[in-house]
Amino acid sequence: MNVPHYWYNINVDLPKPLPPPIDPYEGDSRIALLMRIMPSELLDQEFTALRYVPIPEEVRELYARMGRPTPLREAVGLERALGNGVRIYYKFEGALPTGSHKLNTAIPQVYYAIRDGAKEVVTETGAGQWGLAVSLAAALLGVKATIFMTRNSYMNKKQRVLFMRVYGADVYPSPSEVTKYGIEALRSRPDHPGSLGLAITEAIEFTLMGEGRKYIPGSVLGFVVLHQTVIGQEVLQQLPEEPDLVVGCVGGGSNFSGFSFPMMGMKLRGEGFEKTRFLAVESTAAPKLTKGRYTYDFPDTGGLLPMIKMLTLGHDYVPPPTHAAGLRYHGAAPSLSLLIKEGYVETRAYEQEEVLRAARLFARTEGIIPAPESAHAIKAVIDEARRMPKGSVIVFNLSGHGLLDPDAYEHEVV
Amino acid sequence: MGIRKPGLGTYITATYPDKESFPRVVECLVKHSDFLEVGIPTVNPKYDGPAIRRTHFQSSMKGLEAVMVGGYGEVPTILMGYVEDYVDKLPMVAQVAQEVNAVSVLFPDLIFEYLDLVDEYVKVMRSYGLMPSFFISSNTPHRIITRLVKYDPLFIYLGLYAATGIRLPLYIERNVREVRRLIGDVFLVAGFAINNPDMVRVVINAGADAVVVGTALLDKIHDQERCGEFLKWLRGGLQ
Ligand SMILES: Cc1ncc(COP(=O)(O)O)c(C=O)c1O
Repeated sequence: MNVPHYWYNINVDLPKPLPPPIDPYEGDSRIALLMRIMPSELLDQEFTALRYVPIPEEVRELYARMGRPTPLREAVGLERALGNGVRIYYKFEGALPTGSHKLNTAIPQVYYAIRDGAKEVVTETGAGQWGLAVSLAAALLGVKATIFMTRNSYMNKKQRVLFMRVYGADVYPSPSEVTKYGIEALRSRPDHPGSLGLAITEAIEFTLMGEGRKYIPGSVLGFVVLHQTVIGQEVLQQLPEEPDLVVGCVGGGSNFSGFSFPMMGMKLRGEGFEKTRFLAVESTAAPKLTKGRYTYDFPDTGGLLPMIKMLTLGHDYVPPPTHAAGLRYHGAAPSLSLLIKEGYVETRAYEQEEVLRAARLFARTEGIIPAPESAHAIKAVIDEARRMPKGSVIVFNLSGHGLLDPDAYEHEVV
Repeated sequence: MGIRKPGLGTYITATYPDKESFPRVVECLVKHSDFLEVGIPTVNPKYDGPAIRRTHFQSSMKGLEAVMVGGYGEVPTILMGYVEDYVDKLPMVAQVAQEVNAVSVLFPDLIFEYLDLVDEYVKVMRSYGLMPSFFISSNTPHRIITRLVKYDPLFIYLGLYAATGIRLPLYIERNVREVRRLIGDVFLVAGFAINNPDMVRVVINAGADAVVVGTALLDKIHDQERCGEFLKWLRGGLQ
């Protein structure tokens, strides 16, 4: 099997149109700001009329060098442990070198930034998976990376910080002392644990502070979802049978969407997957899918980006710092939000403890220690499988491994 | 009343800059364009860029009364407003449109936020002798675009960018071509951030039947001569 030649743009197949991004009435135009901070090709991809967007040859090549296509495996061990004749498949994105799906969009984003003449890419990261992927993509393509990592994670996930530095990136805890916004946040709350929204604001401010910098975001926006569809495009070729249930976890929505949208698209176009259910799983630490409002909101805490219509808990939401996994973002990708609102995607929220118990069962039956984020999907798969009739088929996205998340497992196991 | 193609349309918010000079502004625009779009001033011009927003906020009147200040009809006139303001008052909008000789009322938020209202909108427009028209963006679902074609609209308006007047680095030719492919020979209008003849040419060559200019006009409307010259210059792109 080859690396796909196209990403899939679900926007043109949605049951309703995506409301456009808008500017708030006060302050400068955030839409105009996008042009200054983001690679131009990404903005084009955000608004493209094409259903299939060609993957540049250089990006395909890097995808292949980094291990795409990733394997689709049958979870035979887990199936046996559950023992009720439900077949379970998983796409293993943790097989990529940085251990998660994030590299799928880090590579093209850095690639497009360089095409725009960037010498440095700047971003935020929560648990560090995205920061690590950007650090590697920047190293592979030969530019500098600067990462703002939520302070709580920075303290707890020391290996990820270390490995970002091994790849050559500069990493700051957020709130940091290098941006105005960070300094203010620290002044108002010296023990601020950070939030992804705040780190985004810092990354954008830092981008604007210097020459030759481009800002690249890790989830939520349309082009991130677009790049992640490389996962689902592969799944379409790999799946031996049509699933009854498709499951993924949601932080900002990129891995769930990238994994499931090519299948969902076929369903929306009446070309298959008629009986398939889609289930998006989140953490109770940031329950926008189950408790959020579908409304215009800022993707970042500081309100520097244009407002987008999405399921959101509000852009100043700060999740409980005790939560170890990365699913702590206040909003969900607009396309995913719309599909949830229209009833095409079911949702569920789980507590950290039950999720990590599911992770342990998976580790013991399949050998892979899952990322705590991905373990949310596993928890849902186990719950659903127990309820489904014999012969049912489930496929889920194992978006990352958890070998760099000992802090999460320490809470539960030790 | 059909629209000439290839055509140049102009946009102005009713009673901008003020009630007294607005009719003179319209006079210039009508003389140099093939159709006129008249914005119904609102307190919530959500999809507009900063410049057009300012015209809404500065217009001396708000709402439908403002559009009655001008005299239209020498070229096809289309009212443009946010359906959010008129969800329960579509017949009232249609009646005013009829009174001021408009041929259609374009609601940019109809497809995005009020899709379920489309049938009702078409019915009301037709019952007042007006034609429906629709606003879409480059990533509006294809199935919805082809459904709009079935209403036999006066035109489909493709917003080239996310907001009026703000140019982003998008391949607009490709998006125009893609939409043209979907709508067959329905009249296709494209607009947002059009400000020079080359851009007009690109959009027309890609398959649009007409373009609309709004933001780029704003600093010229106070002066009939500049306004006329600018529009003549833009028209160069239609050839
Ligand atoms: C392994 C892993 N899975 C999932 C997520 C959730 O992000 P998204 O929903 O954008 O894919 C993250 C994000 O930090 C992650 O690291």
